Amino acid sequence: MTDIKRAIVYFAKYLKRYWLSLSFVTVVTVISIYFEVKAPVYMGQAITELANYVGQYMNPQTQQTASMTPFYKALGLMMLFFVVTAITMFISSFISSRISAEASGRMRIGLFAKLQRMTIKYFDTHRDGEILSLFTSDLDNIFNAMNQAIFQLLSQFALFVGVILMMFNQNVKLALVTMASTPVAIIVAWFVISRARHYIDQQQDATGKMNGYINEQINGEKIIITQGLQKESIAGFAPHNETVKQATFRGQVYSGMLFPLMQGLSLLNLAIVIFFGSWLVVHDGMDKSVGLGLIVVFVNYSQQYYQPITQITSIYNMLQLAVTGARRLSDVDEQVEEISPVNGQKLTGVSSNVTLKDIHFAYQENKEILHGVSIDVQKGEMVALVGPTGSGKTTVMNLLNRFYDVTGGAVTFDGVDVRDLDLKSLREHVGIVLQDSVLFSGTIADNIKFGDPEASDEAMIDAAKQANIHDFIMTLPDAYQTKVDDENSIFSTGQKQLLSIARTILTNPSFLILDEATSNVDTVTEARIQAAMDNVIAGRTSFVIAHRLKTILGADKIVVLKDGQVIEEGSHEALVAEGGFYAELYHNQMVFE
Amino acid sequence: MQILKDHAKPYWRDITFSILAVIVMAGASLWQPRLLQNIMKAIIADNQSQVMQYGIQLLVLAVIGLVAGVINTIFAAKVSQSIAADVRANEYKKIQSFSFGNIEKFSAGNLVVRMTNDVNQVQQLVMMFLQSLTRIPILFVGAFILALMTLPRLWWIVVLMVILIALSSQIVFKQMGKFFTRIQKLIDKTNTLAKENLQGVRVVKSFNQEQNETTRFTENSDELTHVNTTIGYLFSTMIPMFMLISYVAIGAAVLFVGRGIIQHPSDLAAITSFISYLMQIFFAIMIGGMMSTFASRGFVSLARIKEVLDTEPDLTYDTNAEDLDLSGDVSFKNVAFTYPGDQKPALENISFDVKSGEMIGIVGATGSGKTTLAQLIARLYDPSAGEVTVGGVNLKHVNEKSLRRAVSYVLQRAILFSGTIAGNLRQGNQGASETELQKAAEIAQAAEFVNRYDDNFEHEVEERSANFSGGQKQRLSIARGVVGNPKILILDDSTSALDARSEKLVQEALDRDLKGTTTFVIAEKISSVLHADRILVLDEGQLVGIGSHQELLQTSSIYTEIYETQKAKGANA
Repeated sequence: MTDIKRAIVYFAKYLKRYWLSLSFVTVVTVISIYFEVKAPVYMGQAITELANYVGQYMNPQTQQTASMTPFYKALGLMMLFFVVTAITMFISSFISSRISAEASGRMRIGLFAKLQRMTIKYFDTHRDGEILSLFTSDLDNIFNAMNQAIFQLLSQFALFVGVILMMFNQNVKLALVTMASTPVAIIVAWFVISRARHYIDQQQDATGKMNGYINEQINGEKIIITQGLQKESIAGFAPHNETVKQATFRGQVYSGMLFPLMQGLSLLNLAIVIFFGSWLVVHDGMDKSVGLGLIVVFVNYSQQYYQPITQITSIYNMLQLAVTGARRLSDVDEQVEEISPVNGQKLTGVSSNVTLKDIHFAYQENKEILHGVSIDVQKGEMVALVGPTGSGKTTVMNLLNRFYDVTGGAVTFDGVDVRDLDLKSLREHVGIVLQDSVLFSGTIADNIKFGDPEASDEAMIDAAKQANIHDFIMTLPDAYQTKVDDENSIFSTGQKQLLSIARTILTNPSFLILDEATSNVDTVTEARIQAAMDNVIAGRTSFVIAHRLKTILGADKIVVLKDGQVIEEGSHEALVAEGGFYAELYHNQMVFE
Repeated sequence: MQILKDHAKPYWRDITFSILAVIVMAGASLWQPRLLQNIMKAIIADNQSQVMQYGIQLLVLAVIGLVAGVINTIFAAKVSQSIAADVRANEYKKIQSFSFGNIEKFSAGNLVVRMTNDVNQVQQLVMMFLQSLTRIPILFVGAFILALMTLPRLWWIVVLMVILIALSSQIVFKQMGKFFTRIQKLIDKTNTLAKENLQGVRVVKSFNQEQNETTRFTENSDELTHVNTTIGYLFSTMIPMFMLISYVAIGAAVLFVGRGIIQHPSDLAAITSFISYLMQIFFAIMIGGMMSTFASRGFVSLARIKEVLDTEPDLTYDTNAEDLDLSGDVSFKNVAFTYPGDQKPALENISFDVKSGEMIGIVGATGSGKTTLAQLIARLYDPSAGEVTVGGVNLKHVNEKSLRRAVSYVLQRAILFSGTIAGNLRQGNQGASETELQKAAEIAQAAEFVNRYDDNFEHEVEERSANFSGGQKQRLSIARGVVGNPKILILDDSTSALDARSEKLVQEALDRDLKGTTTFVIAEKISSVLHADRILVLDEGQLVGIGSHQELLQTSSIYTEIYETQKAKGANA
């Protein structure tokens, strides 16, 4: 239930601004439904009048006075009501389709903008695929529901009420008969839906497992081939396939059964109505032409009456998905955002030093990663951080750029705690080159100018030259205007790294954090990367998470991190002479993970 | 289509049942207005017993329709599930017969989609076909004929309505088709933007680009909203328009019945059933139109599956060949190889002989053909010219089992499967005992971390082997490669994530424990192959040098050049 409440709150947030259009749509829908249910009355009336006319005409006494006028009048009214129904329907669906498109557009942008404001923690603790499904699946479900279900629900409900009112207005006995089977229909529908849900859950579970198996096996197909395990792989697949078949069969039977079942019930109900109606005409001594008209009217009503019941059961699934989607989106809305201190001090550069003072940090409570780490980087210095996997190197980087806040101690720039600095100015002056290079769709120029879209082309080319990638770019037919595409990339891993170095050079940061990539590249590219890194480091205060010997040798200071603590610190020579952990790493050729 | 036919054959009985049920269903809904008409007639004629009789008929009809509907659903679900499962099984079997070349042509990700989404689409197509697609034409034709039979003189109203609706839906659907392709593109682009912002969230934040990225996304999203609105407008025009057409038809029917009522008084009872048939025709056209858009998606998937099923594995084994115990001798005779679709050969004119137990290094720049050469030894590809022999036998005449037992290939990218460590290692040798696993793990330097787990080799390997580091994965995959005690072991840059010390320990263990095994080591770093018996030097697909490290320093300028650049960089290497 809380899910529904949260979904309503979420929808209200985005639909609020359309309240005027929405109320208008509601009014028009009610009008439309009124005309839609009223039209058959005139059809019935027309037939009654026609029967009257025939009766009068056949009677020699009244033949002279028999007139078609009442028939034409009723027919004219019927057509008028039909036309108004179509027009009002057009108006309401025209407006509501605009509202659903625009509101879901706002939701999409709202989600994206919210994600941009959120802390890194959220992204580190949720899988990309999971977050992406908010866009691909949840927003899509909501849009579909708004388009096909939510306004439907409104008009079907209005239709339901309208038909009931009209029926009672026409004939109470027949109205009661028409409605008598409703509880049965609802119980049947509820039972079938809940069984269907149960089996569809099982089906999804089984399908998820099977797809997991397929994914793993086919992605590891080369291993299967080299080990000759094809038969075993097929044998492992068979039970998954069988389970999915069984589970899906049940799910499909129950969900597929709903429609014929409801339609059958509707027909059954129609038979009952006709049965009882004609009995009524004969037994209640009703005028024949009136009775005939009444039956015609109720044949229509009984179908219209069942329509909302059938419709609502068929859109139920869609609504369910939209509620789940809205709940998930409102979960995101409640996530914490990055905070920049009000009137925070603006960082203008590094004039003396950047320090970590007795830092304690934990990603999860009670699981401290850094236990009192202190590192001092003087202006113009290059400090290399080394240590085995899991020692906390990347965490240190996360703190310097304020992706995370420390749990104890402080990170300071020229003595000012980063938590007191304006966040934007901090990141403006801290440049970062990540281990995994990420490019964005657009052109090469867009990517190099990513941090400063206003930069001149000269500055861009200069940065590319310093990053050793200019020559390569010039060999491409479109040079800097070459499109970067995520799917079929024209760049090797090494070239991507060079581009991301160029991107950082362009912003000319006063403090640089560099997380060296460990991936395998050929020796030529490796030399290029090394040279590019030398260029970017030159003359800057920098902090390097180092994997390469050359980088470490060039450092002013080496800090060795192990299990969240600084165990050694000093120049290369001093540390080698000390004969400790670093010395051993060094002698093992300094290849870390 | 042929695939569907082939796979449907075993279920022809179920299909017949389901189609029969559909016909009964459609018949029931067609007969219903007819009965209604008779009831009206009976009421007008004041024939009480006839009213009763027809009323009961209507009840029976409703029950028949309902039962037929449920039966149809059950059989349709059974058939569609069975066909889907069979298609999936056959497709999976087909993929398992693929070679490296086939896999690379499709790409693994693409094959996964064809196994999952596409089969799903086909299953829905079959279900829809059996449930509704057969019903629509029956309903349409039936209602059409019955409408004409009910009020023959108003035939032109029916024809006119059908023509009008068919024509206007043609126009609207054509318009919509255009927008649907555009919308798919926009959705893809929006998702790409969202995806790259998730992957690059640290970059966006550290460059303060949140605002710019939001603007970029907004522009795209607004375009999507715009197209969505246009489609919405089209729909909101189309449906009332169609309704209006059918309303006018109804109005005309009533009007003309009224005008001729004196000549045809019995039309009075017929008018309601005539209108019912008009509405049935109307819905049949509407639903048919919508179904055909869904169906076209299913056919696209079907074609994609067909592509997989029709692919012949480009490499097959000689099943008549007897089981052989091959020795570790390897020889290449004038071997050339060109990747399918490439112009330039990846390997040219390669000849060399290797004796059992030798350790061979393979070096060369990226793209020089190192991996290609190694893959030919394991017969992952067939040479385009020349021949590769193992133990003196041409690989084309060796059956798969003998080949895999003799040659073990450890790939560059270490992939583990979810399950246990033991399960993964035993992929290299199904019957391996605990002691053999331990020995393999020791050779691969994996024992030290495996033995640290309480459950040792029974330790869980999570999905995507997320609970192991790159180095650990490589060590386990080497262990998997040696557990079968192969005659030939190929290590394709398989120690790249290991530190120098562990790498050295692995090589020493291989030397000591797999003495009789011929080992090929592909390496980026010359330091990894320094101690090899011989080193093959490749350059742009040519074998440009062969010999020991010392010999090559004398004879091969390319080798010397690579060695010098690496030495300069690597300090005391």
